[in-house]
Amino acid sequence: MPSPNAISRRHLLGLLGYGSLLAGTGVAASACAPPVKETNGGSAAASGGSGSTLTLATWPNYDDPAVLQRFTEETGIRVNVQVFGSTEEMEALLRAGNSGIDVAVPSQYAIPGWIKGDLLQPLDYDKIGVDLSSWNKAVVDQEFDPGNRFTIPKHWGTTGMIFSGDAGGEPSSWAEFFKLAPELDRRAVIVDHQISSIGSAAVSLGLDFNVRDEKGLGEVERFLKSIKPKLFAISSDIQPGLRNGDTWLSIAWTGDGVQVVRDNPGFKYVIGKDGGEIWSDNWSVPKDAPHPDAAWAFLKFIHEPKNAADNINFSLYPHADPAVTELVDSNVRDNPVIYPAEETIAPLSFATAETYNSPLRAETWARIKSS
Amino acid sequence: MSRKTMASTSRRGRGPALAATPAVLWFLLFMFAPLVVLFVVSVGVRGPGGGYQPGFTLANYGELQTRLVPILNTIEFSLLGTVVTLLLAYPLAYYLAMKAGRKKVVLLALIIVPFWTSMLIRTYAWTFLLGSKGIPEVLSAMGLADDVRLLNTPFAIVLGIVYNYLPLMLLPIYVSLERLDPALRAASKDLGAGRLATFRQVTLPLSAPGVLSGCLLVFIPVMGEYLIPVLLGGGRSYFLGNALADLFLQSRNWPLGAALAGSFILLMSFVVVGYSWLTRRLTGPLPTEGVL
Repeated sequence: MPSPNAISRRHLLGLLGYGSLLAGTGVAASACAPPVKETNGGSAAASGGSGSTLTLATWPNYDDPAVLQRFTEETGIRVNVQVFGSTEEMEALLRAGNSGIDVAVPSQYAIPGWIKGDLLQPLDYDKIGVDLSSWNKAVVDQEFDPGNRFTIPKHWGTTGMIFSGDAGGEPSSWAEFFKLAPELDRRAVIVDHQISSIGSAAVSLGLDFNVRDEKGLGEVERFLKSIKPKLFAISSDIQPGLRNGDTWLSIAWTGDGVQVVRDNPGFKYVIGKDGGEIWSDNWSVPKDAPHPDAAWAFLKFIHEPKNAADNINFSLYPHADPAVTELVDSNVRDNPVIYPAEETIAPLSFATAETYNSPLRAETWARIKSS
Repeated sequence: MSRKTMASTSRRGRGPALAATPAVLWFLLFMFAPLVVLFVVSVGVRGPGGGYQPGFTLANYGELQTRLVPILNTIEFSLLGTVVTLLLAYPLAYYLAMKAGRKKVVLLALIIVPFWTSMLIRTYAWTFLLGSKGIPEVLSAMGLADDVRLLNTPFAIVLGIVYNYLPLMLLPIYVSLERLDPALRAASKDLGAGRLATFRQVTLPLSAPGVLSGCLLVFIPVMGEYLIPVLLGGGRSYFLGNALADLFLQSRNWPLGAALAGSFILLMSFVVVGYSWLTRRLTGPLPTEGVL
């Protein structure tokens, strides 16, 4: 251990004014940075066979710390939360092996690859005690995990369009969105995510959300390149532009939509009636989870309606269990951005594993951005 | 062979070689080896799930033309950014070195201290200054101009470059001007040269090394810029750095990324070689040599 008075090299560089340079390079490399870790308090006392810690791989602001604390108090199992920035990062860690992760929350399009790669173990429903038969059919028993053998949906959401009164129109479909976007002259934003942006543009051209063939992608590429000079930005950081009045129209994920509409009632979040994206993040247990018993105990705890409801009130993303919906705060439950009507989400599609892994789709997106 | 000669052989022969070993190893390990890895990856193929798979193809180099726009953007903005930074930094350095007197230290500190804050935060702050509720609103409130668009324009990118790299240009020029013997300028004046002629024939040539180092210190890192085009350009004017980040992190096409990165390194090598040639030309036979 260095003495507390010793000046570390980083400190020295900082004093010399190189701190900013370090910080600058850190930004560029942050996509490769290790995930943020935090462990909640609670006794480290071993509690029987369930192990004393549980490592949860999840997303930012996705789990209510109070709920995790309650779990620790009830079971004596400490929760070690690792927050990730992308599914790719989470996957890289799992594929490397010995990740130490007990419970992971992958997006649906990663799941088939994880199952095929033997990264997940089948869920032990006897120990979890969850019955999915009454859950929202829009998100359970889907193609990415038939019969939910390996995963249970945690939260789900949509990719819609958000606009202010300045936009001068109220698009209700992707066709209308992409007609209006270039007309506004550098006031519209599409997100920097091939799945959402190529998919929504494909829907506007009458193609499938999961289009992967050369002809279809070529059409999307030509179209997006043609409107790119008329866009304000290709960026996933959509909120500042909307709030400052720079952006009048944008593709938006549920979470951003909820927050912007809540703070600025002049905005509207709409789901395309011609289709678009629905997504889900799902509880899963890696095959090499060091504490599987802790994982089963956690999944049992987190699906008790009261706990699940607290998590929704915190994260503002919906859940698929109707018993939970009843316990959610009414202002959350009645918010159509968070809980859209069944007929609204009917035309939406899940991004498939093939769409997520398609080299052609990824390259098409990279070429659009590099144009 | 006597003991003595052996000892002297080793001292004269192997000694220097041994002493150079760490440097040679360092170069092999940290410069040559990574370049070899980069080349090997660049002739490989993309794996089914992304990444790298061994192979031998030059197709990736053929694909480089699909990244022509970022390459041209990078060169254009780097040149423009360097020139604008130079035009702003030179008068400022001149003032600091020649006219500022005792205020010099304070003024230098004022220039340098903001750079102790992270570049990300300083650049992100500009998005609010340039956004609708920032400078454009002030201009419109003053009745000067309506509907001015600053954020996510080429102007914003150049501004970001100038703002972030000004000290790197300023300091070398300042140092070269500071070292300039005042007697030289006095002599020029005595010999009948006007202020402009003195600047053109004495001050400017003598500060050329500082100008050149400043230009290189700005040009090279701007060529690798990633943050400014994203935050102030809205991802609409892509740089090579952005195209590379996409290839490695999003589309996970490592071989194409390696080919692009390798070509980029080659391009930069030309710049550096050209720079040292220019430096030698400009600082070689200086007009002062006969005098001093």
